[in-house]
Order: sequence, then C-alpha cells, then structure tokens
Amino acid sequence: MLTLSLPVIQALQVATIVFASPGITGVISRIEARMQGRRGPRILQPYYDLAKLFRKESLAPLHSGPLFLLAPVLAFACYLTVPMLIPVLTTYALPLGNMGDILGGGIILAFASFMVAAAAAETGDPYAQLGASRAKTFGAITEPVVLLVVFTVALVTSTDLPYVLAATVTSGPAQLVRPAHLLASAALFMVILYETGRIPIETHTGTIELGMIETARPFEHSGPYYALLKWGSSAKQLIFYTLFLNVFAAPWGLASTRDLGPVLFAIVALIAKAIVVGVVVSVIDNTFAKLRLFRITEFVSAAFLLAVLAIFTLYLGGG
Amino acid sequence: MIDILAVARPAPTVFDGTANTVAVIVLLLEFGMLRASLFGAQVRLYAAQSVAVSVLAGVVAVGRGVPELFILAVLSLLLKAVIVPLVMMSQLRDSRAEIAGSGSLGVASEVIISILVAAFGFFAIGALGIHSEVLPAAALSLSMAVVLVSFVLMILRRDVISQAIGFFSLENGVSMASLVIAAGLPLILEVAFLFDLLVAVVVFGVLIRVQSDRTKSFSTVALDRLRG
Repeated sequence: MLTLSLPVIQALQVATIVFASPGITGVISRIEARMQGRRGPRILQPYYDLAKLFRKESLAPLHSGPLFLLAPVLAFACYLTVPMLIPVLTTYALPLGNMGDILGGGIILAFASFMVAAAAAETGDPYAQLGASRAKTFGAITEPVVLLVVFTVALVTSTDLPYVLAATVTSGPAQLVRPAHLLASAALFMVILYETGRIPIETHTGTIELGMIETARPFEHSGPYYALLKWGSSAKQLIFYTLFLNVFAAPWGLASTRDLGPVLFAIVALIAKAIVVGVVVSVIDNTFAKLRLFRITEFVSAAFLLAVLAIFTLYLGGG
Repeated sequence: MIDILAVARPAPTVFDGTANTVAVIVLLLEFGMLRASLFGAQVRLYAAQSVAVSVLAGVVAVGRGVPELFILAVLSLLLKAVIVPLVMMSQLRDSRAEIAGSGSLGVASEVIISILVAAFGFFAIGALGIHSEVLPAAALSLSMAVVLVSFVLMILRRDVISQAIGFFSLENGVSMASLVIAAGLPLILEVAFLFDLLVAVVVFGVLIRVQSDRTKSFSTVALDRLRG
C-alpha cells in the first residue's frame, strides 16, 4: 500500500477542510429545504456561487482603507492555518500539529473574526457595522464558555492538545459517559451554533437586516473578496464541526497509519460525520424559533452553565 | 502521548459516570425550571426530572444489585412522573393565566445566582468527604445543588406554579440524596415519603386553584392587594 509522507497528509488536512466545506454547506441547505417541503438548491450550488463571484468585478466603498480589501484574504489565511492544529484526518500529531493547542486555534479563529469585523467597520455602512458590533458583543460573552470548555479538557487530559483529548475519548467507554465530557461537548455544540450563525441565534439564510449578526458583516464586499468571505465562513463551519467531532464527540474513523487507504477513509468519514451534524443542525433550525436579540444572553448562560458544571463535577472527582 | 494519558486524572468507572450523568441531568432540569414560561412546560420539566430520578434508582438497582430499589423506581415513576403532573394539570386546566416573566430578575442573572448557590452546595458537601458504597460522592453534591437551586427557584419566581413545582422538585433532590446515603433505606419509609408528597400536591393544588380563581392570575405579587 502506498505510504504518504507527513507533509502530504498535512496538506490533505487543509485541502479537505477547504474543498469539502462549501459542499457541507450545500448539503445542509438542501436538507433544510427538504424538511420545509421545498426542493432546495443543488448540493453543488455553493461551488457555483463561489465560481461566479470569483469572476466578478469587486468594488470598495469610497473612503475605505486598505484593511477593507486585506481582511478577507487574512481571514481566509487564518481558516487555512487552523486545520493544521486539529486532528482532521489522523490520530497522531502531524509535524505542525503541536505548534498550537486548542487555545491557539481559538485565537487564530478570533483574529479572523476580528479582521472581518474591522473591515466592516471601515465601510461606513450601518448594517455591516451593526453586524460587526453585535458579533463582537456576543463573541465576548461566549468567550468564557469556550475558556471553560478548554479548562475542562485541560483537567481531563492534563494538557490542552486536541490530539490528546481525542485519544482519551477513544480509550474506553468510561471516558465517554463521564459527565464532564458530555457537558463540555454540549457546551461546545451550543457555542458552535452561535459561531456558525444558526438558529436559535440567527437565521442563516435570512435577509432581514435587523436580525443579522454574522451575515451582515460582508455586506459591502463584492466579487472575489466576497467569495473569500463566503468560502471562509463555510470553512469556519467545517472547522468547528471537525473540532466537535474529531476531538469531542466522535473521534473514530481517523487514520492511525500513514497508508493511503486509511487516510482516504478518514476523509470520507469526516464528511459523513459532518453531514450527520448538519442534519442535527437542520433539525434544530426547523424546530426552534430565532431568539430575540436580548435573549441571546439566556442561550449563552445555558451554555455557560453546562461548562461550569463540567468543571464542578471534575473537581469533586465525579467527572 | 501515553505518558501524558497516565498523568491525567483517571476517569470514574462506567457505572459511576452513568450515575453522575443522570444526577447532572436532574440538576440541569432544575435549572430549566428557572426559565420555563408556560405552566405546562414547568409541570413537564418536573415530570422529566422525576423520570431522571427514577432512572437513577434503576441504575443503582442494576449496577449494585439492590432489587428493592426497582420497586421504589417504579413507584416513584408512577407517582411523580404520572400522577402528580396529571393532578396538577387537571387543577389548572381551565386557568387562562400564564407564568411568563414572573422571575424577579432576568433569566441570565438568575442562572448566574443559581450557579453560585449550587457551587456552594457542591463544595460544602464535597468537603465533608462522605463516601457511599452504592453511588459516587459527586451525586450527593449534585443532589445538594438540586435542593439549593430549588430554593432559589421558589424565592426568585413570583408565581404559585413555580413555587409549588420548586417545592416538589426539592423532594426530588432529597430522594436523590437518600439514594446516595441510604440506598438500602427500608422501602416502607421511602414509600411513606412518596405519599407525603401526594398530600402536599393535593394541598398545593387546592391553594393554587383558590389563588387563581380569586385573582385571575398565578402571580404572588397580587396577594398583598387583597388586604383590608
């Protein structure tokens, strides 16, 4: 069997995330449409959208600075960096896999989101700025939840390298049913719903400007820059799903050797698992109503509660 | 990587993990009651919590081989998850009032306060170092947290439904604690507690009925207007 070298697998991790992510978005919107009794767009529609946008001309608002055009590129570069740090395809750490822990990945993602918000602030468009300021406000209150989830991981594994947690979870059923693990996973899932802009936080495909958070920020971008932002938000979604699946919920199906077969199987397994998460997210999308803006704190406080309880049970030796 | 795993805190056994998870679910449902905005939802949350407590009794019965706990599990399931909710709902069926927004604080601040109170309960009980043969000590701390959060619920929600449900769910916390400390408690005592609860339900049901008939609302804020 063909054995791949480590840098090739590393590149495959990034490529899987980047090239599969619009497809995952397409599958989710298809499933969502089917649940609502619509036919829905083609699964490959996001790829066509991106191809169309890349061919279009791009315009910048009159008084915007260089950051406006730089931000989409920088944000996309961040989304290319994070898949090197988390276990996308392999159970073992790849050469660059240990250069950052979960917090490091979180900082890079936060930097990407900050760049997009800063670019939105450059535009002078009220809706883009509204979205940017909301995203930062609610980002600030979800931050403690993320930190507590990381602390839980650190208490469970005595490190916060994502590879070690994945190995811990697969080591036996006792690790799976411990309340700290379940609570931290649930809290992370709620954060993911927030970060990917899903119900109950916001309507993903909505065009109602006043309810927008995440989708309002790229309002003024156009052409290839808009394409990069859209692609970036799909990539971010798949990164979060991968983090949730391959570190917390289901780190099975990953390649433990460098052979071609297991690595290809890991790609297929990741996509299949991401689609399962997508189905769950679509069900949530279709069963819950969007929260009013000022009730988002209730959603976040519920996630915070889960993460705090995870830490408590660990300290009492019961987690 | 193996070395790192060896340093890590050992996981509890599958039995302990399952029992703790069920106990955590009981506590989470108690927190859910803080934000319930329909009385039907409040009663359903209580029913779900009672199911979780019965499941915990069942888990102990299977995992530790205490067969009389099966009887307790079935009895408490029947009484607390079926009869009590039915009695409550039948008392309230023709009432049009709702309990939305009866909290004296916002939901997020109520949750933060309850987290603090629950933390106090957790660590106060954890410091006692009580060890039980049938259930992990964390379940005892969790049941203390359930009791304290139900106090917070009764104090902060200003409607009679939440206060009554808070009282009933306090009993859930206590019966969870009794599972940890004295799983072999004579069955007759446990059953006596259950029927005590039934009396409380009937009394509370009648009181709620009178209150909602007189004031056309479940709110206790309206009560001091009745003077004179």
